[in-house]
Amino acid sequence: MRHVGTIARRELASLFVSPVAYVVLTLFSVLAGFFFLSSVLSFSEAVSRLQQMIGFDPRFAEQLARANLNDDVIFPFLGAMSIVLLFLVPGITMGLFASETANGTDELLLTSPLTIWEIVLGKFLAAAGFLLLLVGLVALFPGILFVYGDPEVQKTLAGLLGLLLVGLTYVAIGCFASSVTSSQVIAFVLSFVMLLLLWMLSFLADLGAAGGPVGQSGLSSFLRWLSSSEHFEQLVKGLVDTSDLAYFGALIGTFLLLTKAAVESVRWR
Amino acid sequence: MIEARGISKRYGDLVAVHDVSFSVAQGEVVGFLGPNGAGKTTTMRILTGFLPPTDGTAVIAGHDMFDDPLAARRCVGYLPESPPLYPEMDVAGFLAFVARLKDVPRKRVREAVERALERCGLTDVRRRVIGQLSKGYRQRVGIAQAIVHSPPVLILDEPTVGLDPTQIREIRSLVADLVAPKAGEVQHAVILSTHILPEVEAICPRVLLIHRGRKVLDARLSDLTGGGRSLEQVFAQETSRDVSDDAPAAAAFA
Repeated sequence: MRHVGTIARRELASLFVSPVAYVVLTLFSVLAGFFFLSSVLSFSEAVSRLQQMIGFDPRFAEQLARANLNDDVIFPFLGAMSIVLLFLVPGITMGLFASETANGTDELLLTSPLTIWEIVLGKFLAAAGFLLLLVGLVALFPGILFVYGDPEVQKTLAGLLGLLLVGLTYVAIGCFASSVTSSQVIAFVLSFVMLLLLWMLSFLADLGAAGGPVGQSGLSSFLRWLSSSEHFEQLVKGLVDTSDLAYFGALIGTFLLLTKAAVESVRWR
Repeated sequence: MIEARGISKRYGDLVAVHDVSFSVAQGEVVGFLGPNGAGKTTTMRILTGFLPPTDGTAVIAGHDMFDDPLAARRCVGYLPESPPLYPEMDVAGFLAFVARLKDVPRKRVREAVERALERCGLTDVRRRVIGQLSKGYRQRVGIAQAIVHSPPVLILDEPTVGLDPTQIREIRSLVADLVAPKAGEVQHAVILSTHILPEVEAICPRVLLIHRGRKVLDARLSDLTGGGRSLEQVFAQETSRDVSDDAPAAAAFA
């Protein structure tokens, strides 16, 4: 396992000499700023409207008391960032394996004394390291809220953990997409489509629940369980449950296994 | 050092390599000849552990490539047909990366890189980015990554292909220099594939010829050309003979 670090370091260094890392970081920061600002502005507008309404009807006081930074700013902000990751993670992972095949460097890696797990884990960790940087950027914004307000610490951390886990799952899926092709464009499109489907399974389940053919059946709840957005929302609501953690863990493990099989497949093709 | 034992490789009905056996001793330099598509690259990929054979096995420095692949691969330096380079890395950084992959002890990585740079004439371009080097220099980097861990076995697949005449001469003399016995250096067992015959005559005392996936000749160069024949005549004669008695040849696999 000592080669994992060697592979990961090279991969990270490559990311930062190519424009990809900077494009992703720039777009990500711009979008994070935009979504944070819009969440904060809509929150303050809602609060001031409620304050005016109290004069007409004291029942609005109840609503005002329920308004808080965690549910009304951080929750929608992290939700938006998880969708941004949907677009940007494939950009980080597309080159991981596809460029090795295109450069012919897979022949170097596969004739060196290292196992395929070391290659796969090294590359996964490199992309995970970059993701950590992105989640760190996101964490700065709720940090600002702590200066001017008092959101709940645990709930905020649970939300960031959710974003990290959902991102790691995307990275694992992106690794797999990159390992089955030598074209980075195909790798990008393939991982984006897979991520989108995974995210949208809960919409399909909602349609079913609304009286479609699947109805309130087991299929509908199964689809909802399979969808990444469901488990992510649990965490962002501050509910750290082992079943959600296990869901992300299982998905990451499955796709890393598939990646390993895909890399190994040059040997038996 | 290198032992091929009855290696065969089939792709479905296509036979790329059929029952090839030979061995190469330490310090021996073997020219691996054959027309394009004869199965040279496939054989070399099997010897380096990149591809598994359908039948037979390869033993490198006493380690079976398929029972103990990590130990066997540690003993091989391999230059594939297209040199495996990361265009965005600089020369010294790339060689250090390869040295770590090949299990050169951490403390000796820098020393190994310096030696490889020096032996391949790359000292002046050590900080240059590989993608900006000329083709000849890239080939040198490819050779440097093959020797950076001083492997007892060196497998070079067409090291001079696609270069201009000056570069060919330079790479050829570099290879000749690498394989020449020197005090204090590891004696490599070398397999050098090519279809450029003067290259073989210049560097390799022993010749292995494969044609349509079968070994058709394994002899010392001096014995072959002893009767006044040129290597070219031998090559033409051996490769025109019909050796494909039962198995269809695999011209598609170079």
